[in-house]
Amino acid sequence: MVQIATVRSPVARGSVRSIRFPKLPTGYRSILPADIPGRNSIVSFGAEVPILAQDRISYQGEPVALIAGPDILVLEELAASTKVVCDEEEPFFSWESFSSDQVVAKRVAVVGDPDLAFSIAASVHEGVYTSDAIEHHYSEPQGAAAAYDYDKIAVWCATQWPYHARDSVALALGCRAEEVSVRPTRLGIHLDGKLWYPSLLACHAAVAAVACGRPAKIILTREEDFRYAPKRARSSVDVRTGLGKGGELSAMDVRIAINVGAYGPLAEEILSQAILACTGAYACPNLRVEGYVVSTNTPPMGAFAGLGASHSLFAVEAQTNRVASAIGEDPADWKSRNVLRKGSRLLTGEALREDVPYDAILDRLVAASDYRRKYACYELVRKRRSGRTDGPLRGIGLAFANQGAGAFLSGDLSNSYTVEATLDKDLSLRIFTSAAGGAGGVREVWRGIAAEMLGIGLDKVRIATPDTDQVPDSGPSTLSRNVSIVARLVERACLAIQKRRFREPLPLTARSVHRSPRPTSWEGGQVSGSPFQSAAWGGAVLELELDPWTLEPKPLGVWLCVDGGRIVAPRRAASALRSGAVDALGACLKERFDPQASPLAYFRHGLIPLEDLPPISVEFLEPGRRVQAKGIGELPFDTLPAAFLSALSQAADHPFSSLPAPPSKIVGALGGK
Amino acid sequence: MTVSFILNGEDVSARARSADRLSDFLKRAFGLSGAISDCRCGHCGRCLVFLDGRLVTSCLVPAFGVRGKEVVTFEGFAQTADYIDIAEGFKTAGVESCGFCSSARCMAAAALLERRPRPSPKEILEYMSCAPCRCTDPEIIVRGVQTAAEIRSRRLYRRAGR
Repeated sequence: MVQIATVRSPVARGSVRSIRFPKLPTGYRSILPADIPGRNSIVSFGAEVPILAQDRISYQGEPVALIAGPDILVLEELAASTKVVCDEEEPFFSWESFSSDQVVAKRVAVVGDPDLAFSIAASVHEGVYTSDAIEHHYSEPQGAAAAYDYDKIAVWCATQWPYHARDSVALALGCRAEEVSVRPTRLGIHLDGKLWYPSLLACHAAVAAVACGRPAKIILTREEDFRYAPKRARSSVDVRTGLGKGGELSAMDVRIAINVGAYGPLAEEILSQAILACTGAYACPNLRVEGYVVSTNTPPMGAFAGLGASHSLFAVEAQTNRVASAIGEDPADWKSRNVLRKGSRLLTGEALREDVPYDAILDRLVAASDYRRKYACYELVRKRRSGRTDGPLRGIGLAFANQGAGAFLSGDLSNSYTVEATLDKDLSLRIFTSAAGGAGGVREVWRGIAAEMLGIGLDKVRIATPDTDQVPDSGPSTLSRNVSIVARLVERACLAIQKRRFREPLPLTARSVHRSPRPTSWEGGQVSGSPFQSAAWGGAVLELELDPWTLEPKPLGVWLCVDGGRIVAPRRAASALRSGAVDALGACLKERFDPQASPLAYFRHGLIPLEDLPPISVEFLEPGRRVQAKGIGELPFDTLPAAFLSALSQAADHPFSSLPAPPSKIVGALGGK
Repeated sequence: MTVSFILNGEDVSARARSADRLSDFLKRAFGLSGAISDCRCGHCGRCLVFLDGRLVTSCLVPAFGVRGKEVVTFEGFAQTADYIDIAEGFKTAGVESCGFCSSARCMAAAALLERRPRPSPKEILEYMSCAPCRCTDPEIIVRGVQTAAEIRSRRLYRRAGR
């Protein structure tokens, strides 16, 4: 087997003039764009990303060539001593104020008459909320391997989207998709960091395997992964809120800017998700929202535990908490008055078909966290405090959000996905899906549903190896689709088997196909469609204390309550939410990726220490067994950042508006206060 | 250079290059992949081994640094009674890690229980921080180590009684 090292661009923007390799030892060879037999790009949600940059360089560290050979240590030395000569141009790093050349996607939506509503509003409140890029820090680094398997190219990689990897490799090799077989390896916790990038590495491995005529493997070092693989996009959301005389929400003006780095492989999808989530869980009769996706010369950035909704939900929840405080009302009460109800009009124009369980969730959270008493006490202390050491610096924040699961909004995907199930003669069931199970226990959900439907033991249900030769295309495993769509397809396939069970001989095979009923359309400032199959609702309360001397925020408790429909595996679901809460807390407190920081930033980056974590309580509403299972994995990321920001603002008596908030930022904001 | 040392209870020797890290050396020369050389800077804890009884990140130990010493990797540790206690404790408590941090978590738990047979939740979380991972559910981890501690105590008590 040959290993692969990547030769990367030394500049952030420019063009490649020449690549000078050192003398390569016997058994080693270079691979240039000209060695790619097919198309030198992969397509992701409509955007093209070069497999090896040929002329144009779009970010520092972009792959321009590969070196393949038997020893990785030698390869690393060869790659380091390869000279890439570029004509450097002035790179774009600025994104909060940007030029029209940098805009990758733009969308505008208007509902009602926001100008009139603002002109007659009793009060108008403004806020700008920013969140930084975050490293996914997945369980295993990115990598891929490829080898000839008789008449096929077999590719091994940990990917959320095996069929995307297959199609990308086929295009790169200039062969038919059936001549490529992707055999996904075990996928750890990925937080949507393995959506399209594994396809790029699969192409590197496949091209090297073909060029060398031997199996080839590429595994990024953690440092390469940290510096050059995709991250969570950075965002800035300006929210202007108009209130009526009674404090009711009458108008909103939202401007969203999202920095997706180079190429913007998920740009339109992220923007659509962010815009549809821009009113959060609240009914707003007059709304104007403008969204921009901005390209810069940093590594591609995009998904992180969802595809963009969390940017808006963070901003709108933090803003509602600030607005409620400004008019002297408990945010819990303000939210209760303004939350969506059954029949409320959504941004897409359709009426909400189900009631929002805000009151039930709030009751649980208040009972568990003593939110109301603590909020009133901390407000009193905040108003009476004369200095930093005058009483405890404590705050408590509440946030509420929904997770509309399963639907893609950019319209570039076929939205037709399949799951197959076979009941064998020994009454064991095999489920065939390309959906990646990950480490979140979703396989248990599928198995539990199938066992219950067919009345067989859990040990009789198996999930087939997700080899693209063996399983149908079930789409990318993101947006909690594994629960909201794949689980439903498993249920439907089992239902079809159940109906035929005593009428036809075993084995019985059934196929179920999901098609998006009404794709979203964006025309003339109007959004229409019915994109979400199911919406889970969740609330979070977070209490924290600031150290009076170091101003280090110390979370004291986190309480989550979720209406996730039918919870098939409660223990696993609670565990997944707790670990999501840990990651969300890390994003609030310290995790940050700065693409322009020195390479040493890698050594300073780390997850939140476990001993700093507060107790995390998770509760579920029990909606009954007839309700469908819903995706809930993104809810900690949708709710906790806003709850954290509100708690921090109350504790410090200062309106914070950006995350993460390490002590240095708090000290800088408070100054000598 | 040739490095001779005790690996998982056996005397071994193999040729190491001067740039070899212990984690890479173990994989290349002995085919042991339990110590994963991942971050290469001691952050991730995936490459933990016992070096003369002390838990160390093997990516920060040069291969020649183990000359004459005793190294226990996860493969060797998995043959011990301590591992069986921890595996049973984790299983009983429902610890389900992503699979990539499991070996490091088990070894960190063993090192903790060796020092503190009845650790507090804070001590457990401090030790488990040496193998940080996104799959962490702190509540389950604490329960898992505490259950393993009980199982281990019972075993040691039974053995002392004999």
